[in-house]
Amino acid sequence: MSAPTRRGPGLGHAPRTSILQTLQATEMLDSKPVLPAEILAAILDHLPVADQLRFARASRRMREMVYDDSRWVARLRALGCWDEAAARRRFEEVMLARRRAASGAAPVGGGSGGAGAGAGAGSLLFDAGLEEERRQKEAEQERAQQLKEVADGFETMKVGGTTATHAPHQDPSTDPEALLQVIKNAKSVRGLARQEYGKIYGALAPFYFDLVRAKTHTDPLVFKVFRDPERQAQMLANLRTFAKSDWSQGAQKREEKVDTMTSIFESAVLREFEQGYEFWDVDGRMNKYAHVLALLNGSSAAVELFIQKHPVFTDREVLANSMDCVNQALADSVTLEPSRRFFEVLSRKVNEQAAIIERIFPNPGHVFWVFVDKVREDVVMEYATPLFDETHERSIPSYLRAVSGIFEQTLQFMRTLTPPKGAGVNQEARAKELALKAFEPHLDLYLQDEIDDFTRQAEQEVGEWEKKLSEQDASAESFYMAGFANRQADKKDFLTSFRKVVMMPVTVLPTTLTTFSLPGLPLGSPFASKPAAAAASANGSSAAADLSQQESRAQSPAPSIQQTVDRSSSPMPGKAPTDELAAKAALMTSRLEGIKSLFSIEVALSLVHSAKASLGRVAVFIQLGGQAGGEAREQCEAIFVALLRILGSKHVKPGFDRAVVHLSQYNPREVSEHDQGGVAPLVTFIELVNVGDLISQMIDVFYEQQLAGPKIADRNDFLDPAGLAKKKFEQMLDESVAAGLNKGIDVLMDEVEYLCATTQLPTDYNPGAANTPDPASSTTSLDKKRASTLTGATIGMDIGPTRTAQRIRELVASHTSMLVGSTDKSMLDVFNGEVGLRLFTAVCKHLKRQRVSTEGAIKLIADMNLYFEYVRTLKNQDLLAYFRALRELSQIYLIDARHAKEMATIIADGDRFGGIFRAEEVYEYAERRADWYQVRKDVERAMYGLECCLM
Amino acid sequence: MSTEKVNKVTLTSNEGSNIQVDRVVAERSMLIKNLIEDLGDDAVAGHPVPIPNVNDPVLRKVFEWCEHHRNDAAQSADDDNDNNNRKKTTDIDEWDQKFMQVDQEMLFEIILAANYLDIKALLDVGCKTVANMIKGKSPEEIRKTFNITNDFTPEEEEQIRRENEWAEDR
Repeated sequence: MSAPTRRGPGLGHAPRTSILQTLQATEMLDSKPVLPAEILAAILDHLPVADQLRFARASRRMREMVYDDSRWVARLRALGCWDEAAARRRFEEVMLARRRAASGAAPVGGGSGGAGAGAGAGSLLFDAGLEEERRQKEAEQERAQQLKEVADGFETMKVGGTTATHAPHQDPSTDPEALLQVIKNAKSVRGLARQEYGKIYGALAPFYFDLVRAKTHTDPLVFKVFRDPERQAQMLANLRTFAKSDWSQGAQKREEKVDTMTSIFESAVLREFEQGYEFWDVDGRMNKYAHVLALLNGSSAAVELFIQKHPVFTDREVLANSMDCVNQALADSVTLEPSRRFFEVLSRKVNEQAAIIERIFPNPGHVFWVFVDKVREDVVMEYATPLFDETHERSIPSYLRAVSGIFEQTLQFMRTLTPPKGAGVNQEARAKELALKAFEPHLDLYLQDEIDDFTRQAEQEVGEWEKKLSEQDASAESFYMAGFANRQADKKDFLTSFRKVVMMPVTVLPTTLTTFSLPGLPLGSPFASKPAAAAASANGSSAAADLSQQESRAQSPAPSIQQTVDRSSSPMPGKAPTDELAAKAALMTSRLEGIKSLFSIEVALSLVHSAKASLGRVAVFIQLGGQAGGEAREQCEAIFVALLRILGSKHVKPGFDRAVVHLSQYNPREVSEHDQGGVAPLVTFIELVNVGDLISQMIDVFYEQQLAGPKIADRNDFLDPAGLAKKKFEQMLDESVAAGLNKGIDVLMDEVEYLCATTQLPTDYNPGAANTPDPASSTTSLDKKRASTLTGATIGMDIGPTRTAQRIRELVASHTSMLVGSTDKSMLDVFNGEVGLRLFTAVCKHLKRQRVSTEGAIKLIADMNLYFEYVRTLKNQDLLAYFRALRELSQIYLIDARHAKEMATIIADGDRFGGIFRAEEVYEYAERRADWYQVRKDVERAMYGLECCLM
Repeated sequence: MSTEKVNKVTLTSNEGSNIQVDRVVAERSMLIKNLIEDLGDDAVAGHPVPIPNVNDPVLRKVFEWCEHHRNDAAQSADDDNDNNNRKKTTDIDEWDQKFMQVDQEMLFEIILAANYLDIKALLDVGCKTVANMIKGKSPEEIRKTFNITNDFTPEEEEQIRRENEWAEDR
């Protein structure tokens, strides 16, 4: 900036009239301090429009500065009528047209068909400041401008556009309609922003400044020019908008003034509206003034008034007493019938209002939702809150049902509303939003209570069951072997019915909205109350059969049955299972009577059912989406996790542990009964495994149906708490089963050995011992003599396997087959392999204790074949090799004493036994021949003698 | 920046006379603030800062204003002339009005100094004052005020007047 200079002497002298004088003045003033352009521009920003345009007349540079398009675009933008996209489009059209015009050498906008684009080009050229063409262009532009306006269907209103020849703004009174629309009709054309703003300014500024100057509300021109309130409102709205583009000094005061005037006008209109309201003059005054207010400022005041004073909020018919829900229900319960009626009435009323709102307001959709929101706040919440408070105090379960039920009803209510046409909002989203608003205050408490209640209930259930168990003599278990044959079929059958039940929607709110009494109970109750009839009938046959056997034990079965009946009849006497699943569960339970002291499928079922009921209630909230929905979803998972925790660690696990303890305490010698064909604790345990598997499958079905199905839990998310809990549960089950089976094998083998030791008669394999007294076997002759007298009659008649072998086979087979399908395949394989191997060892051990004659060898071979055939069913190749070797081995007993040499060959033939037995071992077995001492010499000679020869 | 703050800054006008002002006051000027930041405290501690484009009375006047407005919120970088986001012009406060009651030459020089020293608020006040001054004036008077040469022919001038007649009548 230049250094300060003294003021020129000729400043502010006589007005210049000639160019010469101007030039002189210029020279004289050249040394004065001159403000740089950007400061001038800053000053311009603070000037009112009129002064800016006077400024433009000072010089060419000033004009350019003032005419700068951005200055005017900013104002149009402040008015909200500048559309950048449209401007760009126009600009591009113009460029295109110009290029075309250049190539075609046609005069721009000259042709009569030049229309809008050409006109735009013309005006743009003009505004770009091509001064030399200006005059010629001007005429053209005027023509083009007219053309454009005609083309656009623009009214004839022209408030001093770009053309000097055109008259400035017309008298507003002659064309008021155009004035009203002036802001809306503004176009976004680059280079023409000033002209567009000019139109608006010309139309509105007189009213604006007049309004600002007005002393009273009767003065302003606005109210004189426009007589009807609608136009007045529109004009006022326009002026309020216009005030936004006024930013010279004092603008704030002017705007305030406009606002004051507007509010005076508004309150007057509102009074009219209110009067119309009082007379319920829907189509007349209310409609009219609602529209007036809408034009003025979106009619929010009218909406407020309408809603505030609306009769529906004081309507006796609508305002029902929510306590009915509690009072009309049984004790500690809640019926949602009254609330359903309440919502029905409310829905009807609100829908009636929708029609009325449509008749009154120009934007019924918005008004309607505001109205519904108010209804939500004042009616629905007023209704629901006391109900919730009351039920919460009385009983938690009914509180839970009430919250979930009322919520569902509210959502239903919101959905059944018929908003006025053209509401333009997603009703579903609105309904959810409003329902959420209504229930937000209750949601947290509800969710917490829901899970607490479930946990409490489940724990109580397990606790009660435990208590009942401890009341009984813990050691007195009854178990029997009913229906083992088709266990898998039974299980499948049971699961199918279970799946059916789970899939049945547990809508807390039945679709008909009729009765609401205990939605979970019809499902849960049959399990809770074990039907006496079924239990009795199922027990009948087996119990009777078992009776005699069981009497020998310390326990008498009668009380047990008595207890069963008592237990079943106490909760709901005489209620027969109506439900298919209930019947099956009853059957199953009776069948699994043996393990009732360990854990009960009944308890598991009822836990699952209460979880399902809780889940069903909470799941209603999930549809809300957003944060609340997410919380509800988490809560669902939490319920599932709690279910597994309680079921797993408090019920199933202790049961397994107890069973394992029983198993390890088993000692076959202490048990007097061995005719039942099973090792009691092992049978129990295997039953337990079966039930555990059943529960696990139940949980799986439940998870699929209730959590994964409705997208509550994500099956593929490995961090999902529900999935994790489920895995943990299954893992726990597997571990328990594995631990139990380990013990089980020991027990089984103990039993096998016990059987071998106690039931195998010496004469089985040596039938001739008694008949043909053998000097070599004189040590045992006394013993055998006694035996032969017993079995002598049967000698040579029976060539099948011995009874011992059959029993052992049955014992092992029944236990292994029990497990089929109840546990993991691989675990089963390991178990079977182990059992087979141990069986092999046991048989070998047993064999070494026997003495086998050639005649008895047939029986032995039959036995070995029996084992072999059995092992074959296990489908284990390694195992099969052992038993094949055993079978081969048994043949050495068949060889006649005369063929001692061949016997020696067989003994030495290692390949024959598949490497299972070494020659020394075979030799040991050969020693068990009844006639060993006769053949020994020959055999040894054949074996060692031959070998010596060879050597 | 060193921990020990310099509290006073000495400024030298183009006539060579020194003015000592508080550092906060001096830093109302973005120019001086940036200068101190760039050079560091030590550079300004002992040496006067030359302000060659501003003469003594104007400099004193400018820092009188700064002294009065020392506690105002510091100007932020983004609210300088953003054309598309114009705010409504606020009225000049009373003290500023009195402060600006100087002759036109002084006023312009204050504006120029404020512009040079980058004191946005003062520049604003100056521009508003000028705007008020020329409000309602004829083009001729405007030319006189700003020392502008009229390079229009009378016809041209008339042409512009008529073009913008819509703004005049109110």
